[in-house]
Amino acid sequence: MHYLREAFASRELLANLTLREIRGKYKRTVFGQLWSLANPLALMVIYTLVFSLIFRIKPEPGSPSGLNVFALWLLCGLLPWTFLATVLTNGTNALVSNAGLIQKVAFSRIVLPLSLVGSAGYNWLFEMAVLVIALSIAGAFVLPWIPLVLVIMVVLAIFVAGLSLMLAIANVYFRDTQYFITLILQMAIYLAPIIYPVSMVSKVSKDVGGLLGTPVTLEGIYLVNPMVHFVGIFRNLLYDNQFPPPAEWLICLAWAFGSFIAGLAVFRANEKRLAEAL
Amino acid sequence: MTDAAIQVDHVSKSFRMYKERNQTIKSAIMRGRTSVHEDFWALKDVTFDVPVGSTFGLIGSNGSGKSTLLKCLANIYYPTTGTITHNGRLAAMLEVGSGFHSELSGKENIFLNGSILGMSKKEVTRKFDEIVDFSGVEQFIDQPVKNYSSGMYVRLGFAIAINVDPDILVVDEVLAVGDAEFQEKCFQKFRDFKKMGKTVVLVSHAMSTVEAMCDHAAWINKGTLMAVGEAAPTIAAYTQSYGHEG
Repeated sequence: MHYLREAFASRELLANLTLREIRGKYKRTVFGQLWSLANPLALMVIYTLVFSLIFRIKPEPGSPSGLNVFALWLLCGLLPWTFLATVLTNGTNALVSNAGLIQKVAFSRIVLPLSLVGSAGYNWLFEMAVLVIALSIAGAFVLPWIPLVLVIMVVLAIFVAGLSLMLAIANVYFRDTQYFITLILQMAIYLAPIIYPVSMVSKVSKDVGGLLGTPVTLEGIYLVNPMVHFVGIFRNLLYDNQFPPPAEWLICLAWAFGSFIAGLAVFRANEKRLAEAL
Repeated sequence: MTDAAIQVDHVSKSFRMYKERNQTIKSAIMRGRTSVHEDFWALKDVTFDVPVGSTFGLIGSNGSGKSTLLKCLANIYYPTTGTITHNGRLAAMLEVGSGFHSELSGKENIFLNGSILGMSKKEVTRKFDEIVDFSGVEQFIDQPVKNYSSGMYVRLGFAIAINVDPDILVVDEVLAVGDAEFQEKCFQKFRDFKKMGKTVVLVSHAMSTVEAMCDHAAWINKGTLMAVGEAAPTIAAYTQSYGHEG
């Protein structure tokens, strides 16, 4: 608790570092903040071409919204995913890339990884706002669900913050972590229902049955991935316009707080040695 | 109550000297260990008090442990054994301008750097004019700092740091920055500090600086405290020692 209070005292520094990231990022570009949309839009075009037109993946139409647009369905899962990927990639380097600062100035080190969550979160908020407008134009009634969307965004941000605290520390001791995480993220997008619906996994799982004679099914293993649950909630709210099952909320909350507490513990145990270890 | 601004109590600090350091997972697994190391004691059982309101010099040859001690005082390193307590707000100036973002303007960097050094937004706003005035870069304050000359960069960094307004200021050899005029300004600022009853701890190689500014000093050699007390005798003992060695 004492530690949290100390971190809270640095909130102004946290805000300033976040602003540094946001302001510095698109400085001297012609399109500025619009660049933050470029990456998800490019992915959307490619994935829609490949997976909707060529592979013919057909997610169920949104119920009760009645939406049936693959690109929008995709974005509801893709935007949270790119947020996670950005924070984890940058967050892993948060301490190593600020080594000079850590070795020269005493301040609450935790603000370094957390400021990256803040700046990526800002971009994400911007992308989500554009998505909400696009969904509304397509005919979904998203507006009443916006408060809950914000809640799940915060929960995901807490989950990701915890992970990046651990990864940032790991990268100080093992510089492999940064390359490892890039690799993992490239694979992991296919292990979550971002570009295909969960129903396709359930179908395969039923065909295969229990693995090696045990009651463990493919779907059972698949559902361990927290992103399956997060993406599910985002799609429920944004695309289907229905309240997600309470169990799903609980799973996401548990992952978020578990990850954050573990991240905090790891960070705290190593914080004082950082200036020497870097 | 005590009249010591900083109490250094039996402080020792060891570093690991790595003969082998496996910072990749592959090598850690292949060799079955992450490192082979030997402890190197950079500070050995150092004890002294820095009196309130003094200007305190840390002297010693290169590699004697001065900077390690300074970093311990600044809460960047933590002592292996022993404790350091300070009474009052402490600010450290080990490098000026660390944490500047080169694409941001001087003005934005003042706010950013101020908050890294522990100032609130209100404080920075209040002191903004003073900082700009002291640094002498008002003409360029809205330019990105990457276009600054190295002198302007350092002056701005120093102006921010000096305006943190701490009770105790810890300074590494940053005085060797800027032109003669700016240096004189800095010295004046330190003298003002002293007048206000604040404590300054500084590390310097230039004995003339230490002689001119400090009233107390500590001499450290190879991690051991050799002498501490009034500035003049301590400096004399130090200069004598290297006079003998050659």
